[in-house]
Amino acid sequence: MDPFKRGVKNVLRNSTRSVAVIIILSLAVGLSLVMVVARQSVDQKISSIKSSVGNTITIAPAGFSNFSSLNNDLTTSQLSKIKNVDHVTSLSESLSDRLTTIGSSQPSFGFNSNSSNSTNQTSLTSPVTINLNNVRRHFFNASGSSAPTNFSLPITIIGTNNPYQVNQSTISITEGKIINGSSDNNNVIVSTSMASKNSLKVGSNFKAFNSTLNVVGIFKTTTKALGNTIVVPLSTLERLTSQSGAVTSAIATVDTSNNLSSTTSAIKKILGSNADVQNSQQQANATIQPLQSVKTIAVTSLIGSLIAGAIIIFLIMLLLVRERKREIGVLKALGASNVKVIKQFTSEATTLTLLAAILGIIIGGLAAGPITSTLINNTRSNNSSPTSFVQRGALTRQAGGGFAGPRFFSGRGFGGSLRANLLNVHAEVGWSIILYGLAVAIIIAFIGSSLASYLIANVRPAEVLRSE
Amino acid sequence: MLKVENLTKTFKQGESNITAVSKIGFSIKDGQFVSIIGKSGSGKSTLLSLLGTLEKPSSGSIVIDGEDVTKMSEHELTNYRCKSIGFVFQSYNLIPNLTAIENVMLPLEFAGLGKGKRFERAKQLLDQVEIVEDKQTRRPTRLSGGEQQRVAIARALANKPKLILADEPTGNLDSQTGKKIFDLLHNLARSENTTIVAVTHDLSIAGKTDKVFKITDGKLKA
Repeated sequence: MDPFKRGVKNVLRNSTRSVAVIIILSLAVGLSLVMVVARQSVDQKISSIKSSVGNTITIAPAGFSNFSSLNNDLTTSQLSKIKNVDHVTSLSESLSDRLTTIGSSQPSFGFNSNSSNSTNQTSLTSPVTINLNNVRRHFFNASGSSAPTNFSLPITIIGTNNPYQVNQSTISITEGKIINGSSDNNNVIVSTSMASKNSLKVGSNFKAFNSTLNVVGIFKTTTKALGNTIVVPLSTLERLTSQSGAVTSAIATVDTSNNLSSTTSAIKKILGSNADVQNSQQQANATIQPLQSVKTIAVTSLIGSLIAGAIIIFLIMLLLVRERKREIGVLKALGASNVKVIKQFTSEATTLTLLAAILGIIIGGLAAGPITSTLINNTRSNNSSPTSFVQRGALTRQAGGGFAGPRFFSGRGFGGSLRANLLNVHAEVGWSIILYGLAVAIIIAFIGSSLASYLIANVRPAEVLRSE
Repeated sequence: MLKVENLTKTFKQGESNITAVSKIGFSIKDGQFVSIIGKSGSGKSTLLSLLGTLEKPSSGSIVIDGEDVTKMSEHELTNYRCKSIGFVFQSYNLIPNLTAIENVMLPLEFAGLGKGKRFERAKQLLDQVEIVEDKQTRRPTRLSGGEQQRVAIARALANKPKLILADEPTGNLDSQTGKKIFDLLHNLARSENTTIVAVTHDLSIAGKTDKVFKITDGKLKA
C-alpha cells in the first residue's frame, strides 16, 4: 500500500470528522464556484450590453425632468450647431407631450400643466392598465385630493423628424405605412396595443388637441412605454401644441464608436450648461453600474471563500499532525522519508478536498442561478439613481404634471430597456466551471497541507519513544 | 560488531543542560542478545534512541560494522534505519488502520521492494512468528497484546536488519506471554545472527541474555 492509498484510507479513519470537514469545505468550494459563475455571467452581460449600445448621443434641455416645466427647450440655433459638429451623421429631433383622455380625472400638483388644458385631450384611452390603489395612495391622497374613479393614464404623443427611431427604440410597422417625419400633416402611427385598446385600424380617425388625426400605420409594441405612445411628424406636434420650433430632445448619431467621446465633448462645449448631453456608452455604463458592483462582490467573496477553505483544511491538517505525531515518528523510525510521510498526509488532504469539491460543484450548480439573480436584484435596487434623466425614462417631455413618473414607466426609453436587460443574466455551470472547482480544491489542499508538511518534516523520529 | 565510544547526550531544559547519557562506551558482537536495565529516568530510552539513530548524540561515536552512524546525514540515516535497524516497542506502535500484514509490509515498502515480494516476505515473517493466516488480515485492535507484539517483531525483522532495538518488549504483556516473546526474540537472534539490544525492567528476562548493562544516572555499568 503506497502513501497515496494510505492517505485515502486515512480519510475513513474518523468518518464523522471527515464528513463534517467535507460538508464545511464543500460550502467553501460551492460559494467560490457561485462567485465565479456570477462573475462570468455578469462579465458576459456587460460585454453584451456594451456591444449592443449604438453610436448615439442624447441631448435634452438642462434640468429637464418629470415634474418640471422650465420652458427651456432646445433652440433651432443649438440644433444647427450640433448638426455641423464633426462626425455627426444625423440628428433626430423630437418634441413630446401628454394627452389626457376626455372625461378622465387628473390630479393637480400645482405645476403649470399642459395636459390639464382642455386642448391636451384625446378621444383615445391608454392601453396601459395600472393599479388604481397605488395612484390614489401616492398621488391623490398625498395631495389631499379625493381619489377619482374615472382615472386613465395620460398618453404620450411624440413628434419626431425620424419616426423610425422613437426613444431609441426601432419602430417596426406591422400594418399600413410609416409617417413622413419632415411633413406637416395630421397623419399618425399608433402601437398595436393602442390600436387594439381603441379599436383603431389603418384609416381610422381620432381626436387630439381639438383636431382630427388619421391613423396611417400601426407599429409593433415592444415596451409598455412605447405601447402608450402615438407618433406624429415633428412639425405637426409643434403646430398642434402651438410650440413652433420647440424640441425637447435630440439624438445625434456619430459615424463610429471611436468618435463618440470626442463628439460628446464637442456638443457639450457648444451647449454649455444649457443642455444635458450623454452618449450611449455613458448611458450603458450608468446602467451596468450594478453589474460592476456584483463583479466586485463576486471577486471579494471568491477570495474570502478560498481563504476560508484553506484555513479549514490547514486547521484540520494541523489537528491530524498533532494527533498522529507518534505515528509519524513510527513511520520515520521504520525508514520512511519526510517526502513519503508528507505524500501520505497530502493525499489525505487532497482526498478530503476532492470529495468536498464534488459536493461543492453540485451545491454551486444548484445555487449559482438564484444567488446571481439575488445579487443583481439587490445591487440594482441599492444603486438605482434618481439623477439620470435617461434612467428615469425622461426622453419624453412629461412636463405637464406628469405623474407618469418612474413608478409606472420604470422600463421606458433606452436606459429602461437596458435596465430590463440587466435582469436577464444567465448563470450557467459548464465544464470550465467544474474544472475550476477541481482546481480550487487542489489549491485549497495544497495551501492547507503545506504548513502541515512543514510540521511533519519537523517531527523527530524519537517521538516514537516519548511515551514509552 | 556494534561499538560505542564516549557517547554523551545532553538536553536543554530551560536554561540548564541535562545529561541523559554520559560518556558511555561498550561493544557487542554480532548475534548477541544484550539487555539494558535501569530505573526510570536513568537514560535507557535515550541510549536506545541514540543506538537506533533516532537522535544524534552530543558527542561520541556509534560504529556498526565499521560505519560511524553519528557522522551520517539525515537522508543517509533514514536509509540506514530502514535497512539495518529494526524496532520493537513496548506499546507495539502498529498503524491502527492497517492490517497486520500491511503493517509488516511498511518497512519493505520504504526499502523499495515490489508489491508482490513485499506481500510474500510479510506473510513468511508472520508465519514465522506464528500469526495464523486468518489473523494476518486483521487490524491491530482485533489482535491480543501478544499477537500485536509478534506482528511488531515480524515488522522489525522485515528488512533483515543487523540490529534490533527493543524498548520494554514485554512491558505490556503478562508474564507467560512475555516469556514467549522473549524466547521468540532469543531464537531469532540465534537463527538470523541478529544483534538484539533490549531495554527491560524484568530482571528474570535480563538474566537470560548474553550480556546485561546496568545504567544509572546516564552512566553504564557492565
